[in-house]
Amino acid sequence: MNRILVSPSPHIHAKTSTSVLMRDVVIALLPSVIVSVLYYGWAALALLAVSVVSCILVEYLITRFMFKAPGTIGDWSSSVTGVLLFLNLPPSCPWWVAIIGAIFAIGVVKMTFGGLGQNLFNPAIAARVFLLVSFPTFMTDWAAPSGFLGVDAVSGATPLGIVKEGLAQGLTLPEIYAQHDFSYLQTLFINIGGSAGEISAIAILAGFIYLLARKVIRPYITLSILATVFVFSGIFWLVNPDQYTDPLFNLLTGGVLLGAVFMATDYVTSPMSDKGGIIFGVGIGLLTILIRYFGSYPEGMSFAILIMNSVVPLINKFCKQKKYGR
Amino acid sequence: MKTFSIGGVHPDDKKISAGSKIEVLPIPKTVYISMAQHLGGPAKAIVAPGDKVKTGQVIGEPTGFISAYVHSSVTGTVKSVGLRKDLAGIQVIHVEIETEPDEWAEGIDTSDTLVTEIPQDRQFIIDRIKNNGVVGLGGATFPTHVKLCPPPDKKAECLILNGAECEPYLTSDYRIMLEKTRQIVIGAALMKKVLGVPKAVIGIEENKPEAIKAMSAAVAELQKVSQDYSGIEVQTLKKKYPQGGEKQLIDAVMHRQVKSMGLPIDVGAVVQNVATSLAVYDAVQKNMPLISNTLTVTGDCLPADRQKNYLFRIGYPLSYIAECNGGVPAEAVKIISGGPMMGKAVSNLDAATLKGSSSILYMTQEQTARKPESNCIRCGKCAEACPMGLEPFLLNKLARNGMMEDLEANAVQDCIECGCCLYSCPANIPLLDVIRVAKGEVIRAMRARTAPKK
Amino acid sequence: MTTTIIWTIAIITVLGVVLAVVLYLVAKKFRVEEDPRIDEVEKVMPGANCGGCGFAGCRAFAQSCVEAMNLDNNFCPVGGNDVMKKVAAVLGLEVKEKAPMVAVVRCNGTCANRPRTNEYDGYQSCKVKAALYSGDTGCFYGCLGCGDCVAACQFGAISMDPETGLPVVDEEKCTACGACVKACPKRIIELRNKGPKNRRVFVSCVNMEKGAVARKSCKAACIGCGKCEKACPFGAIKVEHNVAYIDFEKCRLCRKCVVECPTGAIHDVNFPAPAVKPAPKPAAPAQAAAAAVKSVAPVKETEHKVEPEKKSEE
Repeated sequence: MNRILVSPSPHIHAKTSTSVLMRDVVIALLPSVIVSVLYYGWAALALLAVSVVSCILVEYLITRFMFKAPGTIGDWSSSVTGVLLFLNLPPSCPWWVAIIGAIFAIGVVKMTFGGLGQNLFNPAIAARVFLLVSFPTFMTDWAAPSGFLGVDAVSGATPLGIVKEGLAQGLTLPEIYAQHDFSYLQTLFINIGGSAGEISAIAILAGFIYLLARKVIRPYITLSILATVFVFSGIFWLVNPDQYTDPLFNLLTGGVLLGAVFMATDYVTSPMSDKGGIIFGVGIGLLTILIRYFGSYPEGMSFAILIMNSVVPLINKFCKQKKYGR
Repeated sequence: MKTFSIGGVHPDDKKISAGSKIEVLPIPKTVYISMAQHLGGPAKAIVAPGDKVKTGQVIGEPTGFISAYVHSSVTGTVKSVGLRKDLAGIQVIHVEIETEPDEWAEGIDTSDTLVTEIPQDRQFIIDRIKNNGVVGLGGATFPTHVKLCPPPDKKAECLILNGAECEPYLTSDYRIMLEKTRQIVIGAALMKKVLGVPKAVIGIEENKPEAIKAMSAAVAELQKVSQDYSGIEVQTLKKKYPQGGEKQLIDAVMHRQVKSMGLPIDVGAVVQNVATSLAVYDAVQKNMPLISNTLTVTGDCLPADRQKNYLFRIGYPLSYIAECNGGVPAEAVKIISGGPMMGKAVSNLDAATLKGSSSILYMTQEQTARKPESNCIRCGKCAEACPMGLEPFLLNKLARNGMMEDLEANAVQDCIECGCCLYSCPANIPLLDVIRVAKGEVIRAMRARTAPKK
Repeated sequence: MTTTIIWTIAIITVLGVVLAVVLYLVAKKFRVEEDPRIDEVEKVMPGANCGGCGFAGCRAFAQSCVEAMNLDNNFCPVGGNDVMKKVAAVLGLEVKEKAPMVAVVRCNGTCANRPRTNEYDGYQSCKVKAALYSGDTGCFYGCLGCGDCVAACQFGAISMDPETGLPVVDEEKCTACGACVKACPKRIIELRNKGPKNRRVFVSCVNMEKGAVARKSCKAACIGCGKCEKACPFGAIKVEHNVAYIDFEKCRLCRKCVVECPTGAIHDVNFPAPAVKPAPKPAAPAQAAAAAVKSVAPVKETEHKVEPEKKSEE
């Protein structure tokens, strides 16, 4: 024995690290990625590569040349953002939109605040909203390229978009449903139209279960979002089923599942305590339904998450866990 | 199954040395007995170089209300009384004794006979405990007689015996629960008598089924012998660290929580370790001073045949025990006295063992070396793990910015330094290192504030 | 269209007038009367808010000066005599001049002098390290090398020398605010008189252990032998608790102690030439030094000034 190490206690550490946690998130995202690549084919694969590589590259360049600090790309967080960004884009969107999204997500939303752990907003969601506002044509063009499954994907709009448009034309929901063939079974496995990651609810749930099993996240945020969406939209639906879509439709279409499982649970931009997480989730659920029913956009998940991101510091301040003996 | 309600972590058990019977270490040529073996004022040495001492003779006298007697653990000649470095390299007064074959001081019963009869005189028991220098052996080494004499306005309701041994690796408590089972139960009955409480609960974690079985059997057996043993029960606890923390154990067993800055007695609880209970038995029934204890020598880098539990006497140098065990393994880079979660890293292996020494634990580089700190990702795992319900991420930030009022408002003074936060932090932020120092400063500031009012 | 514009202008104007009145009333009602001299004093302060004076910041200092109308207990170490003169001028008071001070690191435990006995692996903070144990060398009293003083210094005047593992004070930047003195858990840093031409003599050790023990853990420790005490013609040196201390008020920089010290624990800084064995007359070394000033190129002198501690450790 030639060295003696001395340090304060504790002397052991759990076998966990930021990179392991982030890698677990990437693994949990894989089912959704695989389904979307299978369904949308080469175009989706190329888009995935572009968004992941550009996220990593932007992070590397900024840490290397602006922070002049040791690189942080090894912690997998930029990869998570890259994959999430891809899952939030329409599969047919041009590659340069993904690059702009990556620069905005990493460069503006994440690094200007000081990098991992410092950002107020979820980079991928902020980038999605930024792109939606900046390039509405590309971001709402759901004309899907054909994939490896041989299914002809021709749908031109998301179910949410179809409903919104139909209602605007003065149709009632049963009339809209009659024109289009919606079935829950379909949305559960293959949800035609929408962002790359919104295709399959089953794939997203598989990722959710993996994250729970690996104890990467706690279920409270996700479950409270889903429960709120279900209950809140259920109340509206019971009042007027002709005007308001039913709860199951709201859960399974659009970005509710993707957002609730992967984006709202982002460590950095969600509350610390479970109690805070529930408040956060309820807020997201309410805002999503309000935007869907009364807003001008068909989808409200990303806006809801962004808005709730901004109140997280406040939630953290007032929602503390119970202290021992107090 | 019972456990505490907030936080906690599940480190690997690693009770490698659980199967090794307690072995008695031979007496070395020289022992160094520290005068600071307990919480509170160090004892005052009452021997001088050249004095002959017998085993069990008093060599240090208490210097205050919270202090304890220190006895010679060997027979021999005092060589010197002076400063010597403890395991952290801090200078402490030690009495150096050159040993000779044992000759016990008068009045000590060194036989093996089990004395099951409980003395009825409360003061007699307390005096025996005090005069034989018994201190808490669960880690804090708080003088036991002080803890057993609560102030008159507080009433004890339940004695809790801590057999949780929630720290990984350590097995000394487990071994004494198997080998000195009845003595521990008698010790519990003695303390129960002193406190005048109807109930005593022996809490043992579920990962020690043999100990639970043996202790339950001993309790049942002794309850047949005398009324004094009624009300003692064994409670199985779920395995979770820090179950053995005083406040956590009270929460687990009694479902009561001690108020901030309060004492267990405020909720009617008195917590003692099983090893303390054994020492109480020895002190009261045998008039045997606390001069020996059980210590585990373990570590993943130690071969299986060298995983040991030793009966040592206080004052043996750690290096001597390591030598008896075959030397420090080559892969070890850190030596810990105590468990891996709360134990102290040894910087000076020549330091002498104390009453509270419980282990020599060897750790390898990859097991123990700290990894570089990265950004906090606000995952909240530290807050989730904190058994006191604190927010270590916040305390860390406040402490690094020196915000004392905010630290106090966020209850840094409640931290029990269990290490769960640092253990579970994925970004390897040295949370506890920072918080521990801040806690000390805040408590000092609080004391300074209340002191003039008194 | 026109009505809309007219209405808009009208509403905004009315709103502006109403709010202005409200603001005026509020400002009038909650106005805090303050001595205008506080502002004036604050203006001449350095504005670093370092707390070196013992007050929370420059304004608190100014307030205290104005309230006391007496500068005996108030001194701004950062601004020094210049600022204090200005403060005195503002308030029409007298001020006593103080000798300029500088932070001095009193540890000589370089990596070469003081072998490491273990490796510290916890949070890199002297405070944390000191609370844990005696440090990664045999010396309990010496510098822990984690740089709490560097972090405490607001003026960027302290840096760690990677070669020696000890902090180095840049005396050009040091304002003697005392933040490092407070930050050091081992109380190694001391504020001492800057001295004429920045020349100083001090004992670079605070080890209170007995000579043999101290020497064992550090080659350059003060062993409390008392030779310096005897050599000092001015009675400036005292050995207490096995460690010598030079009173800078009494020291005349004769440097007899420097040559006497068997371990090299006494340092002289910014002297142009190294101290020599005492000549028969006490004045001789001073003369030699004075002579050396002329002969040595001025470049070298600035060199000494920039890194005075380093030179002394050579």
